[in-house]
Amino acid sequence: MSGRTLTGVAARLEARIPHTESFTSELRGPRTAARVGVWLGVALSVAFVTGLYSHASQLATPPVALPTAPARLYQVTQGLHVAAGTAAVPLLLVKLWSVFPRLFVRPPRPGRELALHLLERISIALLVGAAIFQLVTGLANSAQWYPWSFGFVGAHYALAWVAAGSLVVHIAVKLPIIRRALSEPVDDVAAASPGSTGPVAPTRRTLLRATWLSAAVAVVATTAAELPGLRRVAVLAVRSGEGPQGIPVNRSAVGAGVADQLDDPAWRLRVIGPASTLELSLDDLRAMDQRTAVLPIACVEGWSASGQWSGVPVRDLAALVGAGSGEAVVVRSMQSRGAWRESRLPANFVQHPDSLLALTLAGQPLDPDHGYPCRLIAPARPGVLQTKWVHELEVVPA
Amino acid sequence: MRAARLGLGLLGLAATAYGLLLVVGLGPGQLGSVLVWVVGGVLVHDALLAPLVVALGVLAVLSASPSWRTPLVWALVVLGPLTLVAVPVLGRFGARADNPTLLDRPYWAGYAVVATVVLVLTVAAARRRRRSALG
Repeated sequence: MSGRTLTGVAARLEARIPHTESFTSELRGPRTAARVGVWLGVALSVAFVTGLYSHASQLATPPVALPTAPARLYQVTQGLHVAAGTAAVPLLLVKLWSVFPRLFVRPPRPGRELALHLLERISIALLVGAAIFQLVTGLANSAQWYPWSFGFVGAHYALAWVAAGSLVVHIAVKLPIIRRALSEPVDDVAAASPGSTGPVAPTRRTLLRATWLSAAVAVVATTAAELPGLRRVAVLAVRSGEGPQGIPVNRSAVGAGVADQLDDPAWRLRVIGPASTLELSLDDLRAMDQRTAVLPIACVEGWSASGQWSGVPVRDLAALVGAGSGEAVVVRSMQSRGAWRESRLPANFVQHPDSLLALTLAGQPLDPDHGYPCRLIAPARPGVLQTKWVHELEVVPA
Repeated sequence: MRAARLGLGLLGLAATAYGLLLVVGLGPGQLGSVLVWVVGGVLVHDALLAPLVVALGVLAVLSASPSWRTPLVWALVVLGPLTLVAVPVLGRFGARADNPTLLDRPYWAGYAVVATVVLVLTVAAARRRRRSALG
């Protein structure tokens, strides 16, 4: 306490605000906060690292060449990203509950201590604000709900750095308290041993176990649709995994505004390269050597589904117009608007034989919602970059 | 230890500063909306959610018999966060008429099943505790 004396209205107001001592639950405090905090730190770290990878994957030119194998790489990392973020919801809520009385600590007298106090308050406010922002926007985005006017990708990326940075500052500040709390027993012996007089009051261990269960239930209920045999218990999954040709759809032909252009007999694929420009009809593409690959559509929202795709390898098409092995290919859709109407396939992905301009899925021509007449499908890439309703490929310098 | 903490702190400050630069770089058109959601999230937690949980705790201590307290902790900790996580799918706010593959599960039914299982287990645990306390 500050020991400062307030008078008048300020004193009456101050008396109405709870004090740290007003909260009497023994379950709060460092011993709970440190243990939940460790796992919250793990969950947020996993989300941060997988998020950085996802962000790099979506850049037109990634800072380093990203791996093209295994094909399920992005499916796994993005599934982990969403699962870690979901697990962080109960962990963050219990963590905040365990330290909630600290919100009512009165500031010390002006001077060096007050400056330090304010700095710590600001860093905590940044951490809590950014963490809540990340979990709320991430969860809403995974259900394609955008009740805000900022761009999700830019804001989620920027606040990820604020959350990660202020988390590291927080750990640095609290390290002695964390170490001491973790070295102490979870519960005092008296609380942990059941007495003969009646039921035991809730213990810290109970709270911690309930928290771990809560995180597990949230993850299973929302993301277990990805795991074989658990699809039915994922009662809150944003997708059941059903869809035309067995694959869910992120953006439909109607939604993309291309539905009335798909049956145009005059459709040609334009392939632009350093040596020449070609126009190929659907029959021309079908007459080329076809390759089949089992590849996942793995969306940033965390869902994924594998399909058997057949079509022409992108590198064969690029070679027709004189591309060398070190060049990238820009893939353009018939869509006239939308952030994902074109994508850039980096050179190392172009060279992967399973990077296809797919004409069929599960042996049938593509459903309009899967990108008829042809779409890009490449291993280890986010779904939003698997451009649909393709009408142009352009070979560009890497 | 001191050097490690100092190093960690500086690393964290650098990452935070970079993040804040990115936030400012979003431009005046988006900055206001981002701030509303960052500050709003903190306010909703600190001024609504946390007091609500405190009130539930007080209510439980005042009115629930001791055999109920531990089962109620389990029920609240499991069902509370799950309910928040479920809001986007229960509301189906992102549903689109042109895309039936999105938000295509019976979410209220699924949520009701999970909630029922949790509540049945809570009641069963409370009764067992009372019996063992009496016996």
